[in-house]
Amino acid sequence: MPVLAIKLAYRNLVGAGLRTWLNVSVLSFAFVVIIFHNGLIDGWNQQARRDTIAWEYGFGHLLNKAYDPYDPFSLQDGHGILQTKMRQRLIPVLIQQGTLYPGGRMVPVLLKGIETDQEILKLPTKFFLKTDADIPALIGKRMARALKLKKGDRVLLRWRDKNATFDAANITIIGIFNNNVPTVDNGQIWIPIEKLWEMTGLSGHATLFIATNDYVHVPIPGWHFKDHDTLLSVLDNMIAMKKVGGSIMYFLLLALALLAIFDTQVLSVFRRQREIGTYIALGMTRLQVVALFSMEGAMNSLLATLVGSLYGIPLLFYFAKTGIGMPATADDMGISIAERIFPVYGAGLILGTIALVVISATIVSFLPAKKIAKMDPADALKGKIQ
Amino acid sequence: MKIISVENVVKCFPVGDGKFTALDHISLDFFTGEFAGLVGPSGSGKTTLLNIIGSLDKPSKGKAQVAGKDIEALTHKQAAQLRNHSIGFIFQVFNLLPVYTVFENVEFALLLQKKPWHERKKAVMDALEWVGLENMADKKISKLSGGESQRVAIARAMVKRPRIMLADEPSANLDAKNTHSIMETMKTLNQEFKTTFLFSTHDEKVMQYLDRIIHLEDGKVVKDEIITSRKEDF
Repeated sequence: MPVLAIKLAYRNLVGAGLRTWLNVSVLSFAFVVIIFHNGLIDGWNQQARRDTIAWEYGFGHLLNKAYDPYDPFSLQDGHGILQTKMRQRLIPVLIQQGTLYPGGRMVPVLLKGIETDQEILKLPTKFFLKTDADIPALIGKRMARALKLKKGDRVLLRWRDKNATFDAANITIIGIFNNNVPTVDNGQIWIPIEKLWEMTGLSGHATLFIATNDYVHVPIPGWHFKDHDTLLSVLDNMIAMKKVGGSIMYFLLLALALLAIFDTQVLSVFRRQREIGTYIALGMTRLQVVALFSMEGAMNSLLATLVGSLYGIPLLFYFAKTGIGMPATADDMGISIAERIFPVYGAGLILGTIALVVISATIVSFLPAKKIAKMDPADALKGKIQ
Repeated sequence: MKIISVENVVKCFPVGDGKFTALDHISLDFFTGEFAGLVGPSGSGKTTLLNIIGSLDKPSKGKAQVAGKDIEALTHKQAAQLRNHSIGFIFQVFNLLPVYTVFENVEFALLLQKKPWHERKKAVMDALEWVGLENMADKKISKLSGGESQRVAIARAMVKRPRIMLADEPSANLDAKNTHSIMETMKTLNQEFKTTFLFSTHDEKVMQYLDRIIHLEDGKVVKDEIITSRKEDF
C-alpha cells in the first residue's frame, strides 16, 4: 500500500495544481526560515564558544576555592599561592576590586593582573612589554566606550592593598582591544600581574589560573578545576534560552503553514467526498483512503523540502558565506556576539527540520483523514455532508 | 448461474426519532450475463438496493449474496476486495477523478489490484478501445464532454473485467444520442464478456435496452418482467 499511496498522492498533488503549490510555497518558506534561524543561533553559539575560549577560558580555569565568580565579596579572600611545581602550564590571574575616576566620575572596576608574556588568551598583553608607563592598563572597546577613554589617557585608580589600606595612582591606557566577549571587557582593567602584586602586596597570589593546552589536572587542595563544559554551561544555557525564545517565531510560521495544509485537508473532507466515495467504490479500503490523504500531507512537506532547497540552498549558503551583520546594540546583550554571525547548518539541523515538517504535516493530514474513514461510502458517493 | 441473490432484504434509515424503510422484504435473483434494470420513481429504493448489492451498504435484515459472498458478513476489507475484483460501478455524475487523465482514471482499479505496468497499460488501452476513446488516453477529465466522461466511467468499470456491473442512473446527465451510444456500448460488452449488468433508472431510453425490468415502489418489488428472448439464457 505505501507504494500505491505514494503514487496516488503524487498524482493528486500534481493534479491539484495551484492548491498544492500554495501549500508547498508556505511550507517551504517555514522550512527555510526554521533552518536559517536555527543555523544563525548555532553559528552564534559556535562563535560565542570559540571567542569565549580564546579570550577568557583558555583550556579551563583552576579557581581558588574561596573565589566565586558570581560573588564580588569573595574577591577579598578568594586568592592564594600555588607552589611553583604545581603552576606548570598554568597562567595566573589575580582579580581585585578598584575604583576608577574618569572625568571626575567614580566607576567601580575589576583589576585583573595577568602575565605579560602569556599567549593562551587573545588579550594583547604583549603591549605591556613595549611601554614604560608606571601602571600600564589594557581595556576593551566596551569599557573604553562607556568611560570615554582612549589610548594614551591617564586616569586615577584607587584600590586597596592586602592590609585593606587604600592607595591611588594614575594608570595609563596603553591599548584598547577589540573583542566579542563582554566578560573580559565590561568594567575590567587588565594590568601586568607583577604590577598588581606590587600594588596590592599580594605577591605570588592568584585568584585563578588559566590552563594551557597541555595542562593535565591533578586535584590540588584549596583549588578546583573547571573544564570547558562547566565554564561554557552558562553560555550554553543563555543561548538555549534565546533559541527557545526565537523558536516561538518559527513555530508560529510553521503553525501557519500547517494550518494551510490542515485547512486544505479539512476542506477536502467536504469537497472531495464524492472522490472518496469513488475510491471506496473502486475497491479502496478505509485504511487505504486514510493512508492516501496522510501521504498527500507528507508529500506536501516533501515537495516543500524540494522547493525550499531550490531557493533555500543558495540563499542559506550566501548567508553562511557572508554572515549576518549584528546591530551595535547587540553588543550590550551580555554574551559574546560578533559583529557578523556566520550561520552554521549542520546535518542534524537540516534532517531534524525535515523530520519536524514532514511529521507535523502528516499528522495534520491524518486528523481529517480519520474523519473521512468514518464516512458512509454510499453517502460519500452522493456528496452528502455529514 | 446465479450471481446475485437478495433474500427478504429490509433496509431502514433513521429519520428524526423514527425510521424510513427504503427496502421492504425484497427478494430477487440475478444470473450471469443478465442485462437488467431496477425501475421506479425517486425514493422507491433502487439506489439503496444497488448499494447493498455493490457492498457499499448492508441490509438491516435479510440476506444478500453477491458473487458467492454474504454482504452482511463482509468486513470493510473483504467488501473492498469484492468491489475491486468483482463489481464495476457506473454513476449518474460519472464520478471520475478530476485530477487524473483518462488513462489514469481507467488504470485506477488495476493499481489497487497491484497489476504490473505492462498488464495495466494493455488492459487500459483495450478498455478505452471498447468505448472508442483510445485516442483520448492523455486527456484531462475536465476536457471531456458528458458522453465521453460516461464512456471513461464504463471503461474504468470494465477494465478489471468484473462479473457484475452496477449502473446508477447512467443516463441522467446525458442527451438522447449519448444515452443510446453508451447503452449500445454496454450491451456489446455484456454480450461479449457475459458480464451481468444491473441498472437503476427511470429513463425510457435505457429501459428499451434491458432484458429484464424490475419495478420497485416504496421499497417493494411490484413487477419483475423478462422482456426479450434472452430469458431462456437465464
